[in-house]
Amino acid sequence: MFHLNVSIFSRTKSLENKIDLFHDKLLDGAMSFKKAVKIFLNEQRSEEYRKLSKQIKQIEHDADNLRRDIENRLYSQNLIPDLRANVLQLVENLDRVINKFDEVVYSFFIEQPEIPLEYHGRINELCDQVAECAENMAKASRAFFRDLSSVRDYSQKVYFIEHETDLSSGNLRRAIFESDMPLANKLQLSSFINQIADIADIAEDFIDELLIFTIKRDI
Amino acid sequence: MDLSFFLFLSSGLFLGWSLGASDASNIFGTAVGTKMVKFRTAAVISSFFIIIGAVYAGSGASQTLGHLGSINTLPGAFMSALAAALTIYWMVELSMPISTSQAIVGAIIGWNFFAGKPTDISILSQIVGTWIFCPVLSGVISVLLYLSVRNIVRKSHIHIIRQDCYTRIGLIIAGAFGAYALGANNIANVMGVFVEANPLREIRLGSGFHLSGTQVLFLIGGIAISVGVSTYSQKVMDTVGHGVMKMSPLMAWVVVVSQSVVLFLFASQGLQQFLLSHDLPALPLVPVSSSQAVIGAVMGIGIAKGGHELNWNLIGKIAVGWITTPIIAALICYVSLFFLQNVFGQVVYQ
Repeated sequence: MFHLNVSIFSRTKSLENKIDLFHDKLLDGAMSFKKAVKIFLNEQRSEEYRKLSKQIKQIEHDADNLRRDIENRLYSQNLIPDLRANVLQLVENLDRVINKFDEVVYSFFIEQPEIPLEYHGRINELCDQVAECAENMAKASRAFFRDLSSVRDYSQKVYFIEHETDLSSGNLRRAIFESDMPLANKLQLSSFINQIADIADIAEDFIDELLIFTIKRDI
Repeated sequence: MDLSFFLFLSSGLFLGWSLGASDASNIFGTAVGTKMVKFRTAAVISSFFIIIGAVYAGSGASQTLGHLGSINTLPGAFMSALAAALTIYWMVELSMPISTSQAIVGAIIGWNFFAGKPTDISILSQIVGTWIFCPVLSGVISVLLYLSVRNIVRKSHIHIIRQDCYTRIGLIIAGAFGAYALGANNIANVMGVFVEANPLREIRLGSGFHLSGTQVLFLIGGIAISVGVSTYSQKVMDTVGHGVMKMSPLMAWVVVVSQSVVLFLFASQGLQQFLLSHDLPALPLVPVSSSQAVIGAVMGIGIAKGGHELNWNLIGKIAVGWITTPIIAALICYVSLFFLQNVFGQVVYQ
């Protein structure tokens, strides 16, 4: 009986660790993304940027493995049957954000867009906002698993920052299209800005779902 | 003892079987329906603890029924149990929340009328009062339990996966306690009418193990309930888990514990003696309805959550059941006893 209990709790502990680790990957991804864009703006496709791009790819790869493992264990061990579908949806959406960080950083690496110096500050600001949005999304999600009362606080931050992101990206795109750049450059930059701002939109949608699941999870 | 005893006992066994098939879902329904506990685990635990509860703690509630009416022939007991079973069948058809206790009490009163024996009004009013008190008490316990559990869960910051693990263990322990309480309280419904006319002798195995004749009777009744659990309760458990009451596993735990405590309070002689010895008011030992205790507990949670989920229609049905179930059972029993005595020539009372 004692052995059985120890076995159940060790399996539980292992899955708890994996879920925590998965959230850590999102936080790592957000910080690396912020750093990568800064380096790209300063040095273009430098060796350091290439290393960071590889690092984000590795984070994305690890996160995918963790996601599969979490999903597999939830089903094979028949855990949280009433909330399993919700948890799977949350994990999938968190993974989408990590994928998006990788996608944007890789696009910079491949396309090497020419970004005039006057926009560097605003693009850095936008990336900081998006990264902060993703960080708060990860914190809200982590709170869903442990501390329901904090979910609302982090969610409110995500909503606020997402709104700021919308304003920043809108202003930036307007400034780009009002400039003298060739249309092709304008469209390319606009596409990058949209891709970056999309991350905050995914975070907002995630929080909408998370708040519903939180009501369901509260006994 | 001849084989006719088992023939007459068959109606009680059938009643036990149907009680196991329907009431086990009150204990493990949500746990099995939501896949928190496997049906096989639930069936084994329920069966074992129902039998233990019936054999070792079933006599208290049974004595109260005996005071209401001592059915002193086997054919009379057979017909009383059958009348209760038929009433339950009819009430199920009408989608009423059934209570075996109310049906059997009605049947005993029907027998009292037919045999011309007086019905002890003070005992009857005590029993009826308990029926009304049972869902109310269950509701109060569930409110207190729900608020405490909610506070603990919110403040303890337990990980959802670990909470799931604790809830599973809690559901199994609560289910075992619930099965014990169900056996202790409801065996009176199944076998209570046969106690007076019971021809079974005591069993002794060495110096340590001893079962009185009544305990042997309750053991047979407990086995009948367990057979009901194993053979027919899975469907009901799935229905409870998916349809009738949509609850989280933790809420299910609150409901199971609340109804189990109520059933235990109305069945435990030890607790009654303890309270009386300390000059505290003790609860009467009366068979109560586990279904109505569950409904009371669910309503309690509804009130604790703001009262938006109260189903007044269901409350109305319970109140109607307090009156109609015993009356229908009494009428069926009276008419059936007439036929059993005058058409089949059986002695239904002495």
